[in-house]
Amino acid sequence: MVEDNILVWKFNRGSKDALRRIYEKYKDDLLGLAITLLRDRSLAEDVVHDVFVSFAGAVGTFHLSGTLKGYLSTCVANSARDRNRLQSGRDAGPDVVEAAGSHSDGPMERAIGREESGQLQDLLAQLPYEQREVIVLHLHHGMRFREIAKALGISINTVQSRYRYGLDKLRSILNSVVTK
Amino acid sequence: MRPKENIEKFVKVRKPNVTTSREMDKRTLDDSFTAMEQTIRAKSAGHKPSTARIITLSRMMKLTAAAAVIIVAISLYITHQGPSEQGGITRVLEVAESPSEIMTMKSLTIAYRRGGIEGIENQCEKALKILGPQPASISLGDLFNGSKS
Repeated sequence: MVEDNILVWKFNRGSKDALRRIYEKYKDDLLGLAITLLRDRSLAEDVVHDVFVSFAGAVGTFHLSGTLKGYLSTCVANSARDRNRLQSGRDAGPDVVEAAGSHSDGPMERAIGREESGQLQDLLAQLPYEQREVIVLHLHHGMRFREIAKALGISINTVQSRYRYGLDKLRSILNSVVTK
Repeated sequence: MRPKENIEKFVKVRKPNVTTSREMDKRTLDDSFTAMEQTIRAKSAGHKPSTARIITLSRMMKLTAAAAVIIVAISLYITHQGPSEQGGITRVLEVAESPSEIMTMKSLTIAYRRGGIEGIENQCEKALKILGPQPASISLGDLFNGSKS
């Protein structure tokens, strides 16, 4: 948190190094979020790219009120929602599963990681976008319901109900998979 | 049926572990730096916000401005009062020709304001220098009256 505040302070004074460090710190998380939400790697890359370009354009006037990760995640979520509206109806590309898995793991771990992440991606893809968004922001990005509500411009009750319905649906999907 | 906690754990541990490609990093950083430079250039080229706007934008600036105004006001007051008082002393000392005039209440008060007790002592010393050596038995009345003549 303190490190982020220092980075933002330096960034506001025109430090390219600070911007680079912010990007390096959060790029993978943000790309993961965008991929989960959009189910399309190239679209997700565009979203992360646009968010950072827009962030860089705010140099000198950027004011951080919460956490930097929360702010950037919110930007990605909002941008992904806009893209999702434009791309509605489009199915997930095969590159989604390919995207999962760290390059730093061994081949076996990577394969397991890909399989598990891919499994989750497939399950999440069956949820309505709004429920998927809340679940991912809360469970993968550690955002509180209050933060999500503020970021998305909806009430905290709506966030909680989307989360609850989303989890219920995930559970029923999993149960149906198990019984098959 | 899985409890809620199990579902949450299931989702949490399967967070996608994604890494960006080099091409994406390069494209994003290059474009971000360009956007950053454009903003900085536009700001430096464009008109600078007025001082009044800067002050109204930040609460800290408001306090700083208020403090600066108070300091300037006090400085002006001191500067204005100081020379006039000092000028007054100079004037009194210049006009005062005799030790009795130098030792008037007005002149001593100004000396006190100017330098405290030390100022009065200096004033007295000056008067005694003008008087020169006098007999120890002489009264204050005779001392100053005599010096007038």
